[in-house]
Amino acid sequence: MTPNEFKIFRAKLRTFSLGALTAMALGLATVTPTPALAAPSTDELVQMLRVVDDRQENNGDFKSLVYLEQKESGKADLVYQVAVYRRDLDDKLVMLFLMPKEQAGQGYLRVDNNLFFYDPSVGKWERRTERERIGGTDSNRQDFDQSRLHEEYRPTFVAEEKLGSYTVNHLLLTATTEADVAYPVVHLWVDKATGNVLKRQDLALSGKLMRTSLYPKWEKVYSQTKQADVYYAREIRIFDEIEKGNQTTIVIQSLDLSALDDSIFTKAWLESKSR
Amino acid sequence: MSKVLVLAGIAWRNVLAHRVKSAIVGSLLAFGSFLVVTGKTIVDSIEAAMAESITASLAGDIQVYDKNAKDQLALFSFGAGGEDIGEITDFPKLRDALTALPQVKAVVPLGSVNTVVFGRTELDDTLDKLRAANRAGLLEERDQLFAQVLAISAQLQQDQKAAFTIAADKVQAQIDLDGLTRVQTVEFASQFTSDPEGTLDWIDRAIAPLASDGKMMYLRLLGTDMPAFSKDFSRFRIVDGQNIPEGKRGFLIAKYAYERFVKNKVARELDNMKEKRDDDGLTFATDKALHDQAGRCARQYARILFMLSPKDAAELKPLLQAELGVSPASAAPDDQNLGKLLVSFLSVDDTNFDARYVWFYTHIAPRVRLYDVGIGEMMSLRAYTKTGYMRSVNVKVWGTFEFVGLESSQLAGVYNLADLVTFRQLYGKMTESQVAELDGVRKAAAVKEVTRESAEDDLFGGGADALVTESTTTRAFDEFAGVDMTAASRAAADLDDRVYTTADMENGVVLNAAVILHEGASIPEAQRAIEAASLAAGAPVNALDWQTASGIVGQLLLVIKGVLLVAILVIFLVALFIINNSMMMATLERTAEIGTMRAIGAQRREVLALVLLETLVLATVASGLGAMVSVGMLAWLGEVGIRAPSAQMTFIFGGPRLYPAWSMLNVSLGVGSVSIISLFSTFYPAMMAASVQPVVAMNPKE
Repeated sequence: MTPNEFKIFRAKLRTFSLGALTAMALGLATVTPTPALAAPSTDELVQMLRVVDDRQENNGDFKSLVYLEQKESGKADLVYQVAVYRRDLDDKLVMLFLMPKEQAGQGYLRVDNNLFFYDPSVGKWERRTERERIGGTDSNRQDFDQSRLHEEYRPTFVAEEKLGSYTVNHLLLTATTEADVAYPVVHLWVDKATGNVLKRQDLALSGKLMRTSLYPKWEKVYSQTKQADVYYAREIRIFDEIEKGNQTTIVIQSLDLSALDDSIFTKAWLESKSR
Repeated sequence: MSKVLVLAGIAWRNVLAHRVKSAIVGSLLAFGSFLVVTGKTIVDSIEAAMAESITASLAGDIQVYDKNAKDQLALFSFGAGGEDIGEITDFPKLRDALTALPQVKAVVPLGSVNTVVFGRTELDDTLDKLRAANRAGLLEERDQLFAQVLAISAQLQQDQKAAFTIAADKVQAQIDLDGLTRVQTVEFASQFTSDPEGTLDWIDRAIAPLASDGKMMYLRLLGTDMPAFSKDFSRFRIVDGQNIPEGKRGFLIAKYAYERFVKNKVARELDNMKEKRDDDGLTFATDKALHDQAGRCARQYARILFMLSPKDAAELKPLLQAELGVSPASAAPDDQNLGKLLVSFLSVDDTNFDARYVWFYTHIAPRVRLYDVGIGEMMSLRAYTKTGYMRSVNVKVWGTFEFVGLESSQLAGVYNLADLVTFRQLYGKMTESQVAELDGVRKAAAVKEVTRESAEDDLFGGGADALVTESTTTRAFDEFAGVDMTAASRAAADLDDRVYTTADMENGVVLNAAVILHEGASIPEAQRAIEAASLAAGAPVNALDWQTASGIVGQLLLVIKGVLLVAILVIFLVALFIINNSMMMATLERTAEIGTMRAIGAQRREVLALVLLETLVLATVASGLGAMVSVGMLAWLGEVGIRAPSAQMTFIFGGPRLYPAWSMLNVSLGVGSVSIISLFSTFYPAMMAASVQPVVAMNPKE
């Protein structure tokens, strides 16, 4: 599939009724209480992921003010405030560090499949990988970007489980060969009632558990461009499973779905902010 | 006295009379003596050489660091350098207190931090230059660089075609190939002319990722007062460029690191193969690793090809064809392809290596960028600071340095030098206002603390109603309100522009300091004096001698000493057993003789003395011979030197060769220790002999 064909395919997908997809996914969850009775088919699971992705996607722009914190045992906390700009339709992302002022002006730009990093202290751009630890925390680019689970992973059903007081579908996701992702294997726990992700575990190819993320607060906002609600995780807690005791917290402090200027998603704009 | 001489004469006669026994025991004693004298001399020489290596290059005689540090200082730890050795916050006060001591000659401030340099590909570099030339309106340079980008893309296109069949993601591989094909079209060149910036951005996104990844260099930086360092460390010398001028910021790369990490990969491989052939006598035909290395070197041809400007490529092609004996008119595609010609040239073997090595440095090296960072250029260093934040600085590379005699030592090349301001930038001690700023950000976020163990219960125990809520955060906001976005770039510009006074350099945090003592000063005494003086001055420090401060390297000497001691002990134990056994046998054999001596008036103590004297005579002669052989060998080795078996060992040997120097003290130690052990092992048989009764001489043999 060429990029153009892929874009057309995605555009067609967007024309699906989100409500219908949600109903399908929630209905699926309702009729499949345990894997022993009837495990969902792969198509149904992909559809479930598509619902997860589509609920979070805004076909307009997305700007947020994010608090990012890293706790490490025996060390002082790392604390940042970051502005995140997304244009999901073009798969573009900019992350601009605002605080502390020593770090202000540093930023990431994702265009196509490239992730660039800029540091105003040296005035240089560098190409970075998907495994980049944002600001030295346990977060990576995917934690701030649009969710693309159904494009990047192939799902299999594990079981219906309880997570605290919630009933969840536990899925195992394996990265597709073409996906450039930080972790090739993911365990995902999706809330049956709402279709939101509540828990995610990222694993290395060897099967070693690398980190666990919890999504305890979801909020929704009506998007004029999408003509539907956009869901976003207001808070993400990431626990490092290798360096026990290390944890990252991401909190969206402010959100704005207004249209963004095209120039924001360029190197020149990011450079200009710290001059 | 005459009795002693008589006994000695009898003892000597007995030694000669039992030749076989004397030869066996004597050989053992001679070997023991040889081992003590040789081993002790070599260990002493290594200790002296190491002391010189370490004290005159980095450590000084004593290292001092914060008394309340969590970890012990280790200059050569081989680890990540993550030890917490605390901070010396008021260096001038400490220095004044220490230099007032009579033993102290100088105090040099130090502080190390691990840095990383993100390397870039040749295509990234060319694109940067092209963008700069375009923005500066340098059209001729711009067009030349664009042609170089096209040449690189053409080579990438060939590589991509070759790799297509094995690509896991054929769709993406085809997209990449289409992009590379597009670059070669006339339309693309027109597009570049009409929209250079847009076209470059596209190349940056679509083509540049196809080139291999840029390498990362890890460089350990040692910040110091460069004028003091240069003056007080006698082995330090500049190799390329110049020292950092007084009052300026800057970086000096260890020559060892410069040649092995910063140099072009092909040149490095060629240098390394030459070393293995010349120094180690390896050949491509017989050494598989060297043979494989030649293959690796050829596969790195793009590291040369991508750096050639179209003009240089055009000049180099006919030269390479001539060198390889290829006709310029050859119709074979490989004969006209510069990449293939380079692969052929770099496919070296025993017959052509030496000639091609020279040819490379004559014709190719001048046309490429031989080092990722040249002398006089700026280098971007990055470090995770003490507080965990990432910090980067641009710093000028003024030159390379080495420590005399330790040129090939990896350990001596482990540190790169910089001024103290640069060190402090990368070390990143927080000011009070920075701490307050972070507290403000943290308080505004008001994040509830949870632990990993209780997180799921704490966060998901509340019930389904609370999981999704209407947004409380959606609003138009100005993310830049009240934010100082230019602090980092302002600080960077300020760093570059300033001229620094001695006070600027000294006033600020350092982590440790090297103390250099006056000739002949006792290190243990000085350690005690330093700790007391620093305590009295209100800046308490731990003082470590150079051997302890050098960490695992210093401990190596203890290991060598331990091995030698064990070897000597084993030899002595064996000697003890054999001497004891043979003297027992000899006593039993000579029972009648001893009985006769006793019958004609010899006293017990005279028999005892006789047996002990026999051993003493044998031990003295044998150990003396062993010591003489050892001294002869050591004198010869002292002239020719012992070659360091590996580059790493040059640090231990204090240079490429160790020159042991024998001493009468060690000779006396060898002869004396062997004699004492011999006497000790003979004592029981001698007592046995002394207890023989005269009547035994009259008993018939059984």
